[in-house]
Amino acid sequence: MAVRLWEVMERAQNGPFMEENYFVKKSLMPTIKKLIRKYEIKADLSKPVLTDDALADKIWQAGKELFLTVGVYNQDTHRVIKFEEREVNEALFAAPSYYLVGGNHDLRYFGHRKVEDTAKPFIIMSPDITYDEEIFFSACLSYFKEPLLDGICSPLLGDFMGRPMTSHFPLEIGGSMHHAMTLRETARLAGRPDTFFVAVGTAESDMAQIAVSNDQWGVRANDARLCGGITELMTNNQMLNKAIHYNQMGNLCAILPGAIYGGYAGGAEGTAILQVAFILQGLCVYGASFSQNFPFHLLYGSNTGREMLWIISAYTQAVARNTHLVNDSNCFANAGPMTDMLFYEGAAHAISSVVSGNNLWTCAPCRNKIHNHGTPLEARFAAEVAHSVVAQGMTREQASDVCNKLLAKYEEKIPHDNYGVPYQEAYDVLKCVPKPEYLDLFYKCKEEVAKMGVNFVY
Amino acid sequence: MEESINKLIEAIMDGDDEVSAEAAQEIVDAKADLKPVIDKLTEAMRELGRQFEAMEIFLPEMILSADAMVAAMDIFGPILAESGDIQKKGTVVMGTAPGDMHEIGKNIVVTVLTADGFDVVDLGKNVPAIEFVNKAVETNADIIGVSALMTTTMPGATEVINILKDKGLYGKYKVIVGGAPTNPDWAKSIGADGWSESAAEAVVLVNKLMGN
Repeated sequence: MAVRLWEVMERAQNGPFMEENYFVKKSLMPTIKKLIRKYEIKADLSKPVLTDDALADKIWQAGKELFLTVGVYNQDTHRVIKFEEREVNEALFAAPSYYLVGGNHDLRYFGHRKVEDTAKPFIIMSPDITYDEEIFFSACLSYFKEPLLDGICSPLLGDFMGRPMTSHFPLEIGGSMHHAMTLRETARLAGRPDTFFVAVGTAESDMAQIAVSNDQWGVRANDARLCGGITELMTNNQMLNKAIHYNQMGNLCAILPGAIYGGYAGGAEGTAILQVAFILQGLCVYGASFSQNFPFHLLYGSNTGREMLWIISAYTQAVARNTHLVNDSNCFANAGPMTDMLFYEGAAHAISSVVSGNNLWTCAPCRNKIHNHGTPLEARFAAEVAHSVVAQGMTREQASDVCNKLLAKYEEKIPHDNYGVPYQEAYDVLKCVPKPEYLDLFYKCKEEVAKMGVNFVY
Repeated sequence: MEESINKLIEAIMDGDDEVSAEAAQEIVDAKADLKPVIDKLTEAMRELGRQFEAMEIFLPEMILSADAMVAAMDIFGPILAESGDIQKKGTVVMGTAPGDMHEIGKNIVVTVLTADGFDVVDLGKNVPAIEFVNKAVETNADIIGVSALMTTTMPGATEVINILKDKGLYGKYKVIVGGAPTNPDWAKSIGADGWSESAAEAVVLVNKLMGN
């Protein structure tokens, strides 16, 4: 909800000048360290899901103070966008706590969730990786065949008409249009024409995003769009252009923030604080309706390791306990399709997220980087786990216990490449359904996870 | 003298550039042989690199230590150049591909290469392909490094290599590429001389390409 959009743009253009290097080294990094000390924030990673309400509240306070102290840096103008506390409080109060998204029989409730909430999580499915043009249609259609899908971001395109798409070049516009058209067409073919889109991920630049806004064939006004939060607590004119366009369109504008564990924020404590500040960046700078959160590990690019599960639970609870903001939690797994590890990673991420009070975005396999390596079946697994643990009323203590059991299955394998097979080998490309051997693995892993304490609803 | 050297190493491990510069000046004032000091500094930075790869320390500590190293080298540099004791390891021109705003990975590589003794010209983010080439010519660089975090910005690395070819400069500068969506097969396919998955591997790669 963009109540102060143009005032923010003025700050983005005329706020206090600062060199970027100074912002990172003298403002951001020392402030995070200071706040960890001030609020005595200490992660206990033996419990991958936070169970301490007081600590969650401290993380909220520290994250808010970080945002107020440091502000957001505009890389293009070298200006710092800063806010008064009353402005942040106003934005927090004015923000809606839910949205009705999609339309007709695809209408869904996408709302704020509380810690250990028994309300169903909203499930967005997406592999967040690129696919060959030849299988793109099949890959998109296969996602729409997932019954637990509430919204979709979808596979991405890397090429268009046989040519590599290049950022800021006309091919990016062409490929982004192709993406939007294919998504719309496959949604209709699957009988879900009004499904909520978060689209289109293929469009990196502002101009490509603007080019795909079209109520007939492209991104509709009631879909959602993403604005990146740049490493760390930064933005640029392109992101601001996107935010203006999305808000004027009527889209749900979402920030896409990924605080990096091991990066400028340091360890788990700093990363959790930074993620909270990023959420406030979305709310106050982009007028974001929700945050699509993906904190990740600097070395692996994933967020299913022990420290990452803790960070996810910590920032989620901090925000869930102290605001009514709408969030979702994006899974970046290490392993690939047709491996049991991918199912276990998705399950752990889903449990840490939804029990702590988040919605779910699942799942990007292979550290979000291996072409064609993603299928809807791993998203189905994580979604079934998410709905089941919520339905059984799983507590954070129980969630921590189950996550430890899951981590025992894959934690030591994280540093090693385990990318499985591409979509074409895991799925029947024409029928858009998983191959029997992948389904067998799915059911075998479900049995294993059930033994760990997840009571599957079906 | 041993005391000043220990003070310098400790300052670098602690990331204190003021103390590091102070200790370096003490060593210079004492007219000590700088070669063994440099060897110890290199060893300290390698240890920091190992700790960073193991996530025993994080990027802030690494950056501050590299700054402390640079502060010391600013003092040692003119003397080393004059004496000819230490040869420059090489010059690397680095930036993120055109259209790519994501630079933390590139910044880490810049930090560790600087700490390893290379002259690094950091072009920043979203760098036009022609600028990589022009800067390499201008600085008589040895290596050009292009980082891409998006599949749509990976073609920017190809563009750098194509411009080198079109200008008859291909082969004069080694080109290295990296970034999350990249891989060694792609690097080879576009004609790059090397690819690395991590900052630590980048240091090994650059040293290897330089014949160090």
